[in-house]
Amino acid sequence: MNIEAKSASVDGGRGLKPRPGRRKFSRTRLNDLFAGYGFTLPSAFVLFIFTLGPALVAFYLSFFSWSLLNHMHFVGLANFWGILHYSVFWIAVRNSVLFACVVVPVQTVIALALAVLLNQNMPARGFFRLAFYFPSISSSAVITIIFMWMFNQLGLVNSFLSWLGISGPDWLGSPHFALPTIMILNIWTTAGTFMIIFLAGLQAIPVSYIEAAAVDGATGWHTFRRITLPLLRTTLFFIVVMGVIGTLQMFDQSFIMSGGSGGPLHSTTTVVLLIYNFIFAYGNVGYGAAATVLWFIFILGATLATNKWLGQTVDY
Amino acid sequence: MAGRHSGWAYRLSRGLFFLILVGGAVVMMVPFIWTLSTSLKPLSLALAFPPVWWPHPFEWSNFVSVFTTVPLARWFFNSAVVAVTVTVGNLILDSMAGYALARIDFKGRTFLYVGILAMMMVPFQAVMLPVYLLLRELGLLNTYWGMILPTIVSSMGIFLMRQAFLNLPKELDDAAVMDGCGRFRMFWQISLPQVTPTMLTLALLIFVGSWNNFLLPLLVANQSHLWTLQLGIVEFQSEYATDWPLLMAASVLITLPIAALFLGFQRWFVRGIVMSGIK
Repeated sequence: MNIEAKSASVDGGRGLKPRPGRRKFSRTRLNDLFAGYGFTLPSAFVLFIFTLGPALVAFYLSFFSWSLLNHMHFVGLANFWGILHYSVFWIAVRNSVLFACVVVPVQTVIALALAVLLNQNMPARGFFRLAFYFPSISSSAVITIIFMWMFNQLGLVNSFLSWLGISGPDWLGSPHFALPTIMILNIWTTAGTFMIIFLAGLQAIPVSYIEAAAVDGATGWHTFRRITLPLLRTTLFFIVVMGVIGTLQMFDQSFIMSGGSGGPLHSTTTVVLLIYNFIFAYGNVGYGAAATVLWFIFILGATLATNKWLGQTVDY
Repeated sequence: MAGRHSGWAYRLSRGLFFLILVGGAVVMMVPFIWTLSTSLKPLSLALAFPPVWWPHPFEWSNFVSVFTTVPLARWFFNSAVVAVTVTVGNLILDSMAGYALARIDFKGRTFLYVGILAMMMVPFQAVMLPVYLLLRELGLLNTYWGMILPTIVSSMGIFLMRQAFLNLPKELDDAAVMDGCGRFRMFWQISLPQVTPTMLTLALLIFVGSWNNFLLPLLVANQSHLWTLQLGIVEFQSEYATDWPLLMAASVLITLPIAALFLGFQRWFVRGIVMSGIK
């Protein structure tokens, strides 16, 4: 995926070349073997115990019926069958996909626009960069509570709207506005992070390309469309993938805003929140595990689709 | 290029861009300013219409009573214990693994490296159930270790450290081998001091991630004296949902340590995002 692509470029293959000078000294090689495993095994062990092992166990548990309290019994594919026929699961899928489909394009465009603006020689550039990035350092819990305060029916947002002569909705209590509130929250926190990554990508573009375009009489928009954007493709791909993965995993904000219920009327139930509730609220571990497996495959598929769509390299 | 930089159209567009940036910055900062403003108001003023931005006098007592209403000091302590331990653990374990994967030539290295990279693609949400079961089995629910161990190694951290060690020159290593220097001393005394910028970047990423983590404490801690700040404030909100000035005072206090770190180490934060793409 993108990560491997990144590593290959930074690494340049240096780390993986054999070092011929060493080969004769078998004692050194033996020492290196001990040292190599001594240094990596503690980390590998923790990752095995808390990531790889659990991923396999989640797969295993998806074939069993269990409530955390009773005895497990094997049910084959019944959990998958049950979930695919459970209407709330499809509501959750719809919410999560809708969330990703709105948030990813909007935050990517905003982040790119801000980065392009800030890449120019502007006064107070440092201040702007700080202001745009600042929201992303605060926690999901605090941000969600701040948004619950601002989007409260009598809160700041509705005060502002009524000043404009608009009667604001009950953002958090309405099934039509609760998820959009979380979308706004997510865009607001993430756009700054992605702006910084775009800025790094922009700064890697040789100034001579842009200058050459200007000499040839290209306008600002043309330069951006024909030169900057194609050269930013790798960064853009990376950001869209990170955005898709991040939005499809959204949990904290829904959980906190709805008090865990995913309400009103399941309108903020994301797939991960539903999985959490299967396990800890409805006592249906098998459904939770099966939904986890399905969702993991879905995210992987979405990532690969993005890869196919944006991942081709551009030759210049 | 001179003509392009002096035309009125150029100046107009620059002015317009600047205004867009100012507008954007205001939108980004308003929630924080409003939080700060609310935290300094008496409850009666918090819901005033039209909204009051500059309360007079400041209700500083909110910042005192929040500590007596909920065990905020205890939650601060819990968050600090977890975040500091997780950060130290990651610095040691990630850098050791990253060092071996970059600079020690041993059989099975590529396999280990690919395996660790693959772990970056497994989100915590996908393993929360088995991790919960494992911690329950180990008797680690409602303990600090339960909130520490699952995040004490980060595959992203190992990846970052490996990149940093790859960029070091080989000559120093060879000289050290000639002098009969052991692997651990080479790592500790020669290589590690050369990657301190990456260590600092990693420390900030991990510390902020751990301080802000919500899901893991939610799974592990169900006794209020073990809650971290993030878990605590959410429970606080569901219990005292209407006391917004107190909630905002707590929000300010929770964000303060991270904001201070950010202002002090802005450059390293930016480096961290660019290197990892993960906030």
